[in-house]
Amino acid sequence: MAIHFQHVSYQYPSGSYQFYQAINDISLSIPSQGEMIAIVGQTGSGKSTLAQHMNALLFPSSGCVDIFGSTIRQKRDKKISYNHLRKHVGLVFQFPEYQLFEETVQKDIMFGPMNFKISAADAAVLAQKAIVQVGLDETYLKRNPFNLSGGEKKRVSIAGILALDPDILVLDEPTSGLDPKGKSQMMELFTAIQKQTDKTIIIITHDMDLVYRYMDRVIVMHEGRLIRDESPDRLFHRKNLAELHLDYPETISVLAAIKAQFSLDIDIYQKDMDAALVELRRAVGK
Amino acid sequence: MKNIVIGQYIPGKGLFYRMDPRTKIISVITLMIAIFLLGSIPQLLVAFSVCAVMMWVGNIPVKRVIRGMKPLIILLLFTFFFQIFFNKEGKLLLDEVMHVTVVSVLGIVLWTILWRLLARIGKFKTVLLLAYIMGIFVLFRFLPFGYSFTTFRFAIYEKGIEMSIFVIIRLVIIISLSTVLTLTTKPTDLTQGLESLMRPLKIIGIRSEDFALIISISLRYIPTILDEAFKIMAAQASRGADFAEGKLKDKVKQVISLLVPMFIIAFKRSEDLADAIESRNFVPGKPRTRIHELRFGWTDIGVGIFTLAALALTIVLKVIG
Repeated sequence: MAIHFQHVSYQYPSGSYQFYQAINDISLSIPSQGEMIAIVGQTGSGKSTLAQHMNALLFPSSGCVDIFGSTIRQKRDKKISYNHLRKHVGLVFQFPEYQLFEETVQKDIMFGPMNFKISAADAAVLAQKAIVQVGLDETYLKRNPFNLSGGEKKRVSIAGILALDPDILVLDEPTSGLDPKGKSQMMELFTAIQKQTDKTIIIITHDMDLVYRYMDRVIVMHEGRLIRDESPDRLFHRKNLAELHLDYPETISVLAAIKAQFSLDIDIYQKDMDAALVELRRAVGK
Repeated sequence: MKNIVIGQYIPGKGLFYRMDPRTKIISVITLMIAIFLLGSIPQLLVAFSVCAVMMWVGNIPVKRVIRGMKPLIILLLFTFFFQIFFNKEGKLLLDEVMHVTVVSVLGIVLWTILWRLLARIGKFKTVLLLAYIMGIFVLFRFLPFGYSFTTFRFAIYEKGIEMSIFVIIRLVIIISLSTVLTLTTKPTDLTQGLESLMRPLKIIGIRSEDFALIISISLRYIPTILDEAFKIMAAQASRGADFAEGKLKDKVKQVISLLVPMFIIAFKRSEDLADAIESRNFVPGKPRTRIHELRFGWTDIGVGIFTLAALALTIVLKVIG
């Protein structure tokens, strides 16, 4: 297992006396290959805190995290360098504004690789590869990152991490702020990367359609606790997801409504609209 | 990082919390003037005990006041030693010849290394600093061995001791007075009080509301910007620029990677904020109502009378003394 959480809790220091318990007693294993994992849960349920433990940006208040053989405990050990772990586990933050700073997109993408002692020439090649990977063309390399649209900035920030060629890619709400087409493009991109390289990709999201359609495994957080770790199929077969502030995917809710309205005999668990249409046609006998 | 405490304000109840910030500001300034008018150690000791009684009445945590003095300990020590060394009035109390020799200089180097090592532990820093300073004198006095570079006289006079104690007590009183003010007044109340007090300056063209607005917005945004700085640091750390690691050469680049996004975000935020307050019909300089109106109460009158009495008393003492 590449990342292994053992009874990890984390408290954010706040005020002088109280602590805010962000995640509570999390045990979890993530392989380095072959999984598309979604982390879902309502706002403030500890998803981002969990993600920041995966590349040693946060140190657990109790418990420990194993990341590619390094054990992360309560206190930062000043003698140990944790920086190399960030090359194994690439974490893309939700807001690209927090990381873009260079004059050109190319320099900004090269910043990551060059921090890991990769020569400028090699880094430039990596930047070129990464920008194409995220679906922008090479003319973007010479542009100023601050003059891009929100969606383009997001792609550039993802390219900045992809250029590191991490073993595990963690993305905090990569599709927020993108239009519907951009969303599905982005998800197609991640599935393509996953198919080509067999890396594990972890995505924090609120979009259940994407979870149902693209993901193999879903981790549900609720008030700092990990309450479900199973396949999306099993999760969406459950009743009362609303109690966890979760939705059903559009396909399931639409088909369920049609089924109830017209009392048709249909399988409501379809991953996308095309499959749902096929199933509907079958049910009405066309 | 959501609830960073700005300033020293601690929520609580008591005499000073009920007071109007304007009364508090004026009283503290007046009492400071009164303290400076006092001319002898017994008078200052009386003032000090009055101060202590005041804190007891107002339920002020003494520990916090002492903690508030910590950053000023260097200043206190400096004034103390300055007075002792350079005040050469009154009776001669101590006169020693100090030797700057090979051995004593070597001793001081070793002593400094020992002091820095002990300071690493992180506890009793002030006590250590004092011990270090004392140690230097002992070494100069009692190690007259080896080649002597030079010698100098170290003399302490009566007036020197007296003045140093006098100055220290005066500083302690003044610091505790201002700590009481900052402990019991929210930064926003403080700015509102200052705004109200500075309003007459309008005649010479200074608009106090603008300053108050600037101060309260900056105070409000310190935690927000700090929060943002931590997020940027985390984002850059996940691209291999960890601020806790790396050589000096890498640090420069790291700092740029922090500052550029910080500036951009801060400018964006200030534009958004300007739009937000303007869309709620805020026009700088136009009169507006407030949620919390400042109001004088009975405590304010009481404290005001006490302050004036204290000032009058010190003036009388000054004139007859």
